[in-house]
Amino acid sequence: MPHGTGIHYVTLFADSVIGLLIVAFILLAFRDVLRLRTGLSRAWAIGRVSLLDAWSARIWVLPVIWLFISLILCLAIVRGYTPGSKVRLDLTIFLRAQEVLLLVYLGILACLALPRERERRTLITTGAKPISRLELLLGKVFGLWAAGLVLLLAMMLLTWGYMTLVDGKIRSDARVLYQQEKHGYEKMIRRVPPQPGLRLLAENGVLQAQNNLTGTLRIAGQIHYSSNPPRRELKGGSSETLYFEFPSLPASFESPPVILFNFGVVSYAPHPGPVKIHCTLVSRANPMTTEEKSLTLDQNGTAEWFVKHTSGFFSYRNPGTGALYNPGPVVIRVTCTNPMVYLRFFNGVHKTGGIPHASCYVAGLDPDRTANHAGYVFPKSNPIITGFKSNGKQEIVGPSYRHPGIPPEVASFEFKHLNPLTIPTTKNGMFTVNLMIGVDKQENEQLPALAALQAYTTAAPRDRTTLQNIRIDEKHVTPIQLPRSLLSQGGSLVITLVSEVPGHWLKLTPDSVAIVRPASPFIINLAKSELVIFCEVALLIAIGVVAGTRLGWPVALLTTMVCYMLGNLFSFIAQLHAANGFELLNYVENNKLKGVWYYQIGSIISAGMTKVLYILVHLLPDFTRFNALHFIVRSLNMPWQILAINIFWTLVCALPTLALGYLLLRKQELA
Amino acid sequence: MVPQNFAIQTRQLTKIYPGFWKSQNVTALSELNLQVEQGQIFGLLGPNGSGKTTTIKLLLGLINPTDGDALVMGQPAGDQDTRRRLGYLPEESYLYRFLNARQTLDFYARLFNMNRAQRKRAVDYYLDFVGLDPAVRGRRIGTYSKGQTRRVALAQALLNNPDLVIMDEPTSGLDPVGMLEIKNMIIRLKEAGKTVLLSSHQLADVEDVCDRLVILYRGRVEIAGNLTDLLELKDVFQLEARQVSDSLREQLIALAQQGGAKEVQTGRPRVRLEDLFKQLVDSKRRGEKATPTAS
Repeated sequence: MPHGTGIHYVTLFADSVIGLLIVAFILLAFRDVLRLRTGLSRAWAIGRVSLLDAWSARIWVLPVIWLFISLILCLAIVRGYTPGSKVRLDLTIFLRAQEVLLLVYLGILACLALPRERERRTLITTGAKPISRLELLLGKVFGLWAAGLVLLLAMMLLTWGYMTLVDGKIRSDARVLYQQEKHGYEKMIRRVPPQPGLRLLAENGVLQAQNNLTGTLRIAGQIHYSSNPPRRELKGGSSETLYFEFPSLPASFESPPVILFNFGVVSYAPHPGPVKIHCTLVSRANPMTTEEKSLTLDQNGTAEWFVKHTSGFFSYRNPGTGALYNPGPVVIRVTCTNPMVYLRFFNGVHKTGGIPHASCYVAGLDPDRTANHAGYVFPKSNPIITGFKSNGKQEIVGPSYRHPGIPPEVASFEFKHLNPLTIPTTKNGMFTVNLMIGVDKQENEQLPALAALQAYTTAAPRDRTTLQNIRIDEKHVTPIQLPRSLLSQGGSLVITLVSEVPGHWLKLTPDSVAIVRPASPFIINLAKSELVIFCEVALLIAIGVVAGTRLGWPVALLTTMVCYMLGNLFSFIAQLHAANGFELLNYVENNKLKGVWYYQIGSIISAGMTKVLYILVHLLPDFTRFNALHFIVRSLNMPWQILAINIFWTLVCALPTLALGYLLLRKQELA
Repeated sequence: MVPQNFAIQTRQLTKIYPGFWKSQNVTALSELNLQVEQGQIFGLLGPNGSGKTTTIKLLLGLINPTDGDALVMGQPAGDQDTRRRLGYLPEESYLYRFLNARQTLDFYARLFNMNRAQRKRAVDYYLDFVGLDPAVRGRRIGTYSKGQTRRVALAQALLNNPDLVIMDEPTSGLDPVGMLEIKNMIIRLKEAGKTVLLSSHQLADVEDVCDRLVILYRGRVEIAGNLTDLLELKDVFQLEARQVSDSLREQLIALAQQGGAKEVQTGRPRVRLEDLFKQLVDSKRRGEKATPTAS
């Protein structure tokens, strides 16, 4: 969010409107709210009738339709490659179909709730009874919430039944296969012993919700104990790219701006020669506006760059009129062209002898408009580094035959705030860590993939447990045992991994290393996911009912739909606004038309629309927060805190929505 | 200070329905001043569009007045506590078609915060009271005849044993027997000390039961007063007798003319069609009860 601009204050205002709504609601509805102590039964009476109305509209057909669609998709169309992925796909289909059907059906019912009462004129008879407008509104919402709960309960039981059947089949198949492998091994028909994974699958199935703990993944070109946890360095001669981001570059008329670099150079080459970096300056608002330069680092690892076309990246203030021209945020991309060279960089701003410096900063700027009034600006902390990912997984390479001096890359997993009491240990005083690692064999394909593991705590980094030659089977869990003493030393637990075989890349995700804890029952995890779906549906119902207080049902439906869509596009619209609005979508054409009068009018309208949308999404609930599938399809147990946050978020959004509904209905004529 | 004996009091009550342009505004009710004493049966008469239903909706707080105010049982119209003492029968029976009679009355009883036992008692009592056939009480209201629906609507209006009953066209959709029953019921309500505000096109009904009435025309009061005062012809005298011979009739006429009476008329009074119909249906029903059917 651009600080200090008009739109910033407007969005702040938009956020505070929600607070004002609640205050107005409390002041105006004080009597009604007090009466709710006895009036909840009246509200429920209204809700009960809404529920019976939904029932008479054959709402019970919905689970049947849902089951039919889901089964067709599961049985006929989509197939998983492994039992686990099949179950994950089935769960995704079952839960996603529930979510969509309930959102559509109950959303429509919510929009119809009050308009239909008005059309049937039953509101006249009901309105003549001792019932407040708040009870009327809450009654409609409660009724549809109850309908949603009943439907979700039915669908949950059906999902559980189907999944248990599928799981039973997988377990029985695994049992048979394991017995066959065991029999073959005992009879010397097979050389390889039966897979322990098959036995585990036959015993536990795939539905249990794992409570395993995962850590934060970091990758380092070279491990440095002084930097804890280890930090990755920019690898020369690769596609790795370092991004420095500046919110704004306020240029001065008196001196030319200069970009300064300062890297620590780590070289493994026998004759390294000059170390070169390739830099690209990019405007975030207009990504087509770029300037590139190759620079050579001096012996201290520093270089400077005087930008030629400053107007595309630097902001200027007209000394005559005082008008500000600001092209917005700027990014500097850096790659290193020397193989066998690693560039070490600062994550933030460091002080040496009282003088602050960073790996990249811009000097020669307008002192009046820089934050420190010193004429230079630093980038945002923790610059992003990309280029070592493959298919969404981080990769680390093993040692090199050609360059034995270069140490292998290291992946570190940091586990913070571990509670030793929640981690089960064996009789030998060990706890289990599961490794789930992918392997990419670019050389030495015939050799098995081997990894070395070190575990230590940040409280005692020299006290390490080392395990070598751990055999990694792709798509299989490799359990390892670590001493419990690691958990009781205090500090964070760090587990590092390296590939031991040259030419073997290990593919990692943040959950590739997980501390094992007892699994939770599937039904509980399913119920949690269903509750998250219910939260989302409940919020949409509240919006639909409120929209129906003053609008006819078609307009109420449209309004609710727009709310839901914008609520799902929250981050997109926020990013669009930060990137200069809709003009970005047709940048090339727009650039040709700059200066033409009709383009300028269109540009003003487009900018206005972006701003309106930006304000609007701040007033609407963010529906992307509801993610019912995130944990269950990964066979992970949803923490209770996540469920509580979802419920809290629903209440936080539903309360101002209902407050608005009450304000709209308070003086509304019912006949 | 409002005198306690007024069940309804309005002051300059005005309702204008706004149009898109100001010239399209419709004045439904204009400066209505009305006083209904407790224990009275008050008639609200007028042709279509005269503002009867608008007045009732204003009294119930279903719509907001443009100007003026209304007090119901001493409280501003629409007050939630006052509505506990009100019963309202709308001109059409606006009920949920997917509920049956029991569920409907149970729902409205819940809105009066009645407990389960109270609800059951009230539902049974008022369904009997309005004479709804027990065989249809479990059926959805959507399948009812208009008369049956009307009876359920009437039952919901009386469910809370109200002090003030507002009835908008109560006999609409009922057969003559039902109409007569309603009229008798209204009289019984009065005997029980209840106030009834009755709006109807059936002038005969109003004439039979009302103590006072107003006649509205285009939102304004044209006539108001006691029914007897309004309908009585002060300068006309009527004599009724049985077994009067022609000669006696001529003597009576001559006597009246000698005494100075003008426009002397004699004739035979007629029984009202409503009474004849009622007699017929009652006798048939008695016969049906006495004679078992062939099956």
